[in-house]
Amino acid sequence: MEKFEKTFPSKPLAWPRGKQWALAGVVGSGNLEVLFERNAKKPDKMDCRVESSIPGYKGSWLAALGDFAANYPVGGTKVTIHDQGADPIVVTFRLRQAYDHLKKTP
Amino acid sequence: MSSAPLFHEQTARQRLASLVDPGSFTEFLPPPERVMSPYLPLLDIPVSFDDGLVIGRAKLGGTPVYLAAQVGQFVGGSVGEVHGAKLTGILKAAARDGIPCVFIVESGGVRLHEGSSGEIAISEAMRAVFECRAKRVPTIAVIGSDIGAYGGMGILTTCCDFRIMTEHGRLGISGPIVIEKWMGKQAYDSSNRALVWKTSGGKTKFLLGDADVLAGDDAASVAAAIKKLLAKSAPLTIKILKARQQELEKRLKTFGETSDPDAIWKALGIRNVAEASLASATEFVALAKKNRFINH
Repeated sequence: MEKFEKTFPSKPLAWPRGKQWALAGVVGSGNLEVLFERNAKKPDKMDCRVESSIPGYKGSWLAALGDFAANYPVGGTKVTIHDQGADPIVVTFRLRQAYDHLKKTP
Repeated sequence: MSSAPLFHEQTARQRLASLVDPGSFTEFLPPPERVMSPYLPLLDIPVSFDDGLVIGRAKLGGTPVYLAAQVGQFVGGSVGEVHGAKLTGILKAAARDGIPCVFIVESGGVRLHEGSSGEIAISEAMRAVFECRAKRVPTIAVIGSDIGAYGGMGILTTCCDFRIMTEHGRLGISGPIVIEKWMGKQAYDSSNRALVWKTSGGKTKFLLGDADVLAGDDAASVAAAIKKLLAKSAPLTIKILKARQQELEKRLKTFGETSDPDAIWKALGIRNVAEASLASATEFVALAKKNRFINH
């Protein structure tokens, strides 16, 4: 297992009223789950915690997460990831999916 | 072809969202609560926020229901200590409140990584099913994906009042690979998908009466099937259990020596097995109507 935390700067996210979290994906082979939670204390930061079953890819993780924080306004968000060997394109896709779930009004 | 997503391809959360009345689902112990397995990290296996089981309350056609949906992709949908405690909790809530309990089953049974605590967890869940049944609170299991219901979950599923299956669902105790390992490939070839589905798949289980309903592979069909059962319950008395035992003995006598599952389909009145294999759920139910082994 590889576990690490990292904070990225990001533009503040306008959290929809009533929403506190959003989840995308499942923990399965080649897949991962991403949880977005509200983090009102740091409106211009994306706090990330990654737990991956495959060690040795921290560089790829930081690149994928950094890109996401730069491309989407996700400040004020705590992101927790449980990974079981997803490749970077799946990681990016799940982040985007969780973001979409969040923006979608119930 | 309809554009609705196929039930067997949906994830547990997608299934729940597409089954219940829009916006009515409230999850218990949602992901931010992080009620997760304490054992998997010790084995260097990733954990999941919901431990592979989504539970909550919702409305189905206006009727309140408690729901549990297993995440088959996460350690085979297996029942660990936390997963099992959530299962038991939702059943006990159903018994207490007199609200029907619906399971979307997708599990190979006990999570072997968690050993005895997994075994105990599933036994507690079974006891809770009988608590519901004693109070005549309906328990309904839906088996609609390839992972199916095996091991302890196969047993728990058959403890429920009713079982709804789609043709993708499978129901059994020992899984096909386990049977092959014990009996040999000549006795049971687990790589022969037609054989596996003809022995444990939804259509066969419906013909044999183990499944009460054969539903289409979409949420609307499954939801319609559940709604019809919400107001019913199957009483559990010594007399009924004895009658069931006799039915099973009769089944064993009739089919115990049969090695070809097609012969069972034919004996149960399916004239054209090839056509019936490809038939939709609705067509198959019409074909099977008069000849099911057990008529409820």
